[in-house]
Amino acid sequence: MQSIRIALAQIAPRLGQLDENLARHHELIGEARGRGAGLVVFPELGLTGYLLQDLAADVAMRLDDPRLADLAGATAGMSAVVSFVEESADHRLFIAAALLEDGAIRHVHRKVFLPTYGLFDERRFFAAGDVLRAVPSRLGLGVGLAVCEDFWHLPVPQLLALDGAQLLVNVSSSPGRDLAATNEVGLGTATSWRTLMRTYAQLTTSFVVFCNRVGVDESISFWGGSEVIAPTGDVLFRAPLYDEGLFDVEVAPGDVRRERIALPLLRDERPELQLRELTRIVAERAGMAPDSTAEDGAEPGLDVRPAEAEHGGRPIGFGSRAR
Amino acid sequence: MTAAATEPLFELPPELAIDTDVARRVIAEFIRGQLRQAGFERAVLGLSGGIDSALVAYLTAEAIGDERLLCVLMPYRTSSPESRRDAELVVAQLGAASEVVEITPMVDGFFGLDGSAGAAGETGLEASSLRRGNFAARMRMAVLYDRSVTWGGLVVGTGNKTEALIGYTTIFGDSACAFNPIGDLYKSQVRQLSAAMGVPEAIIRKAPSADLWPGQTDEGEGGFSYPLLDRMLYWRIDRRRSTEEMEALGFDPALVARVDRMIAASEFKRQVPPIAKLGPRTAGVDYLYPRRRPGSARG
Repeated sequence: MQSIRIALAQIAPRLGQLDENLARHHELIGEARGRGAGLVVFPELGLTGYLLQDLAADVAMRLDDPRLADLAGATAGMSAVVSFVEESADHRLFIAAALLEDGAIRHVHRKVFLPTYGLFDERRFFAAGDVLRAVPSRLGLGVGLAVCEDFWHLPVPQLLALDGAQLLVNVSSSPGRDLAATNEVGLGTATSWRTLMRTYAQLTTSFVVFCNRVGVDESISFWGGSEVIAPTGDVLFRAPLYDEGLFDVEVAPGDVRRERIALPLLRDERPELQLRELTRIVAERAGMAPDSTAEDGAEPGLDVRPAEAEHGGRPIGFGSRAR
Repeated sequence: MTAAATEPLFELPPELAIDTDVARRVIAEFIRGQLRQAGFERAVLGLSGGIDSALVAYLTAEAIGDERLLCVLMPYRTSSPESRRDAELVVAQLGAASEVVEITPMVDGFFGLDGSAGAAGETGLEASSLRRGNFAARMRMAVLYDRSVTWGGLVVGTGNKTEALIGYTTIFGDSACAFNPIGDLYKSQVRQLSAAMGVPEAIIRKAPSADLWPGQTDEGEGGFSYPLLDRMLYWRIDRRRSTEEMEALGFDPALVARVDRMIAASEFKRQVPPIAKLGPRTAGVDYLYPRRRPGSARG
């Protein structure tokens, strides 16, 4: 199997400047093609900038938008992952990542997990996606797309791998924070992400491509540090922190087969067991079924009774554990 | 070796130590980003001779070049000559443009001088040092915003996280700015970064002071040391420790309670004033845009 050159476009999108960002994407797709890249990956909301707030509606595109068709048109003979605000026919706004291949939009992933805590406020402005799908790619590999926070939820990489992904692509706008000197490379965010990426690559025995933006939106600085990890968990490439650039790295698709034979974790997964247990847990967490392993008086979803114990009867509907 | 040379330059609680290379990088990008998005290439700041404004001067010069920075020295007649000397040292080391604007006539013109009343009337002569200090800070703000026009640069804030959290600032005075590169750094971290950037030792070593009257020091006024206060704020705010957990960490509960009150009492200084909600869309409530967006850079 031939090697694939992956180009990481670690860019600093201009907030709300769709035309300018589109032009930059065209330019970098051209440059990646010139370097022989089979795949070029752009960060989350690379076409619009991240901290949009009420600007989101102004820069949203429908999937039939001619500007997207134009961008897809630039991918003859190659693949690209781009990200933008997608407006659905019923006018919901999604943070979307699209796989563009051979001139067409091959697949669109709508960000499933929208962080709305700490410095994030995504759920206020965006709708959450409902679908996770791995798709075949002209690269000869199954591709699973995810956007930033999607990878802070364990099931996402696993579901994508079980669905056939051999190459997991996470596009991000991750704000750097926690500069404590004790952190790896002096940045808490980088330490966390690096741990996650290596873990996912290893556990799913897949390539993991992480493309994170750089630059500044308002108060927050995005730290870059884009990576490509092998199915063994080995780091194949790490882009510098905070530097803008187009970085490319060669990967050998044969590594997936070798690793999955040597370490057959996916073979040994038990999705049917997960499904069974999840079905039970969902019912118990909703208080719709008794939890056979919980202590008396425990809240639905918890096994341990609260320390203060003996509170009176629960309102109807809040746990059906009364025996 | 002299005693001063063997003494550590500053006390840095280990949990507050930051990676200064990363901080410099982030702050430089932040400063350049703020200016670019607003359509400016220059910056102006008030240089007091203290460590905070010295550090911001170094950071700004590193981000955009010393030739694009204007440092304004704004002494009052009671300001310490040492402050002036230290500010001039920073200017000389950086090679940035500088200007001295005495605020004495502005402040004395309001409160009066030597028994002769100013614009504030007879009672102005009796004004407390708090009123005088606040007024002086707002006069400096007014000078900086005027120089923002004449120099064609944005006003860079120089307040640190410690003073912002306990409210040791003058609202619409020293806290007024277009953006603030060091507002998320505690005083101890300001010292650490200052040392890394080559801010003159004398400035790092001297006791922090608002310099509102001779001999005044922040720590003398507040009654606690910055390393202690910084640690308390760090555990309480950044690491969300409860009062019980603070005590378990070894902090004096009475001091924790006092700092809690200072934080709560100064909440208003850290926020944009509320607007009475009347119309369909209200700035800051349900009209939410980035400060800088397409069309907001000056032409």
